[in-house]
Amino acid sequence: MRRSVRWTLCASVVTALAMFLAACGGNDNGGGGGGGGTVTTQTKVQEGKKGGSLTFLAAGDVDWMDPGQTYYTFGYQVAYAVNRTLYSFKPDDSIKPVPDLAEGEPEISADNKTVTVHLKKGIKYAPPVNREVKAADIKYAFERSFSKEVPSGYAGTYFGTIVGTPDKPNSGDIKPISGIETPDDSTIVFKLKDATAPLISQALVMPITTPVPQEYAEKYDKSTPSKYNQYVAFTGPYMVKNDPTTGKLTGWQPGKQIQMVRNPNWDAKTDYRPAYLDSVTIEEGNDDLTTAARRALNGSGLACCDSGAPPAPVLKQALQRNKDQVVFVPSGGTRYIAFNMTVKPFDNINIRKAIIAFSDRNALRLTRGGAVLGDIATGWIPPDFPGFKEGGGLKQNTDLDYLKNPNGDPALAKKYMLAAKKDDPSLPIDANGKWTGGEKILTVATNADPGKKTAEVFQGQIEQLGFKLNFRVVPQDSLYTKFCSEPEAKVAICPNVGWFKDFVDPQSMLDATFNGKNILQHGNVNWPQLNVPAINDAMKQASTLAVGTERNTAWAKINHMIAEQAPAIPWIWDKSATVASKNVQLVVNGYDTAMDLNFSSLK
Amino acid sequence: MAAFIIRRLLWMVVLLLVISFLTYIIFYTLPAADPVALRAGRLATPELRASIEHTLGLDKPWYIQYLKYLDRLVLHFDFGYSYQNSISVKSQIFDRLPATGALAVGGALVWLLVGIPVGIISAIKRGTWMDRLAMGGALVAISAPVYWLGLVSLYLFSKGLGKIPLFEGQGAYPNTGTIVSDPGHVIPALILPWCVLAASFAAVYARFLRGNLLETMSEDYIRTARAKGLRERAVVFKHGVRSAITPIVTILGLDLGILLGGAILTETVFNIPGIGRLAYDAIQKSDLPTVQGTVLMGAFFIILLNLVVDVIYAFLDPRVRY
Repeated sequence: MRRSVRWTLCASVVTALAMFLAACGGNDNGGGGGGGGTVTTQTKVQEGKKGGSLTFLAAGDVDWMDPGQTYYTFGYQVAYAVNRTLYSFKPDDSIKPVPDLAEGEPEISADNKTVTVHLKKGIKYAPPVNREVKAADIKYAFERSFSKEVPSGYAGTYFGTIVGTPDKPNSGDIKPISGIETPDDSTIVFKLKDATAPLISQALVMPITTPVPQEYAEKYDKSTPSKYNQYVAFTGPYMVKNDPTTGKLTGWQPGKQIQMVRNPNWDAKTDYRPAYLDSVTIEEGNDDLTTAARRALNGSGLACCDSGAPPAPVLKQALQRNKDQVVFVPSGGTRYIAFNMTVKPFDNINIRKAIIAFSDRNALRLTRGGAVLGDIATGWIPPDFPGFKEGGGLKQNTDLDYLKNPNGDPALAKKYMLAAKKDDPSLPIDANGKWTGGEKILTVATNADPGKKTAEVFQGQIEQLGFKLNFRVVPQDSLYTKFCSEPEAKVAICPNVGWFKDFVDPQSMLDATFNGKNILQHGNVNWPQLNVPAINDAMKQASTLAVGTERNTAWAKINHMIAEQAPAIPWIWDKSATVASKNVQLVVNGYDTAMDLNFSSLK
Repeated sequence: MAAFIIRRLLWMVVLLLVISFLTYIIFYTLPAADPVALRAGRLATPELRASIEHTLGLDKPWYIQYLKYLDRLVLHFDFGYSYQNSISVKSQIFDRLPATGALAVGGALVWLLVGIPVGIISAIKRGTWMDRLAMGGALVAISAPVYWLGLVSLYLFSKGLGKIPLFEGQGAYPNTGTIVSDPGHVIPALILPWCVLAASFAAVYARFLRGNLLETMSEDYIRTARAKGLRERAVVFKHGVRSAITPIVTILGLDLGILLGGAILTETVFNIPGIGRLAYDAIQKSDLPTVQGTVLMGAFFIILLNLVVDVIYAFLDPRVRY
């Protein structure tokens, strides 16, 4: 989701923690190790005081207000305050979703081909719609998200197995989906083509499950793209200020501000969210996050920022003087350096293993801030995620010798380089295991810190093995849209990629990124272009398993199978940081890793 | 004069068309990023990409796209819709124009009020400590980058962050209201940005005016004026400054036009929601309609103010006739 942002943000986040951590992180020498010593790393949800107004300082804007289209962290932060989905997450538990619009757990049929959800009664839309939410509204929300008018970024990927969804999602007008049935106003049934109910049931936390009243929205949905984005009908504790007659959002001025006020039709009895604040204003355009974060720390009723973490100098100050004004939460994802396995010499597994073995991941982590900012990654299932424990926790995949030593192992690297030479004597490798080829390897990195620093440190490491890089730095957006996600660009190494959860299921972490069937000609996120039939088949099998230990174990094994292929160097499972004024009781939601506006309050 | 103005206005239309075409070609052939990929997100399927391409009209040949754009622009005064959020570009530009206008015009007043007297005094008192102090200060003001100066002023003088919290700081500019409808909030929020924006301009104007005035004061007609027994004040202001200030009007027109197109750095430091920041964000996201709109708006102001300057010239300099 937003997570895209993550990938998009990969660079802007946590800016300079690097230096600061060098100063204050004491645990940087070890391996995985625990998080960050003295810093608060999880949200404690305490009862708050009702009332007051809070201002959140942000650099950017939400991607969409339309819940059918929003797919970025910041968009989620607002979406989960003004909308209600079938299921959602309490801030202190990002693993187990709780029923929101739903009355209870999803009912999954024995053949894993049907998911039934019963809805609560008495949940009403904000003005001007004012009526009660019906199951048909959720059906319509799905139908519109498969249309060209509302091109959802994930509907086809996660919900394409619903019977009756178009073969080519987002290519036609809004049409009924036969596999979504609403036998009554408070029941919705999803019929699936395959036995994928476990995945679908987990994905019911996504904003696509936000109800959309058809009789109100369809006039806006007739435009391409839909204009519903400016007329959203809200169901959450809050709503973006609107014209009570037309529903036009007057409180959203893109790039300037979002004004959120209480939804007069919200009934606290139907919701688990306390919604302490009376109003929230999001002040956008704070491109200089150093100043914005300082304003938040020094001021009153302020919080910051929307890009994962404030810049390092401010965090340093905050951790030294205002520790209780900072909250860290795991980002729920992995950053890694991807090798393109279709480009020489990375088609040779021993070359890939040699580079992984040689890489000093601890040094790479220091470029982002060191131990405070996260654990050293050894795979692609992040801490506290289903499958993490089953895969060996922080030690996952460390049975593979090239992932064992976070500080790098030159002797082992030499062994693998020589093995590569043995596999293919034509490779330019000398007796010391050094690469002697003169051809430069295309490496494309972001031009913004801290990602740029990470790439430069990696460049220094790989050049010690004798490789010469054609090292290009480009803007973060271009990094994906013109290089790493475009197989035609034939980029050999992408040092700044990362993948973060869409919802809490290990499949969402591994399928898009390492399933050979998901390699795309444009917008490809299987960056190594890993295409191993055994892994693809194992994913197909595991996707049908019911939620629970068996499923987690299966995906943990797949995680190991991927690591055995050495397609990339996983190097950090990082954390996000949010800062706030002294009088703000800051609560961060572990799911979207952003400030939870429903639970935060003024002291 | 009327014929001159009409001719220039017609040329303005031609120039704007050329600028719109060049902007289009530059961004079409050399986009900073792929707008489709940016909008599609990380799970972009071929179908999703095709759908977005169709929605944005990017599946058509470039000249068709451009002609459609022109059609909307010329016949309906419609700048199109943002690639990023599908919101009307025209509404976004007009929403932000008052902030940029207030910043630019207010800043111009400040730098004229400071720069002109300093330049005159410096020229009249040439070689004295006042001249040296003024020109030294001007050198510092010219050398200080706006971004740095803005941050320093925030950390020194802004409420909430500053050591001497005298003025409103970052984020104080109200998101609703203009300098006309809400002067009580807008003016205090702009005092610091005006000073920061005006600093380097005032310095340039002071140095420029000093140079011009020194040259003018050595002209024969100044000597004649003195010989006639005119008071020195009249000599300086009526004959010297009036002549020396004419080139200032030219650069003022250009500077103001450029600033009306967006004072990006000042707007960024103080989080003023103006056109400059809108353009900056749009460029980063390859949001072509918004980039086009802001570039055209900037070009319009520059051309218009050049025309205004030319007209004013006729009043300032009796030799100029159209």
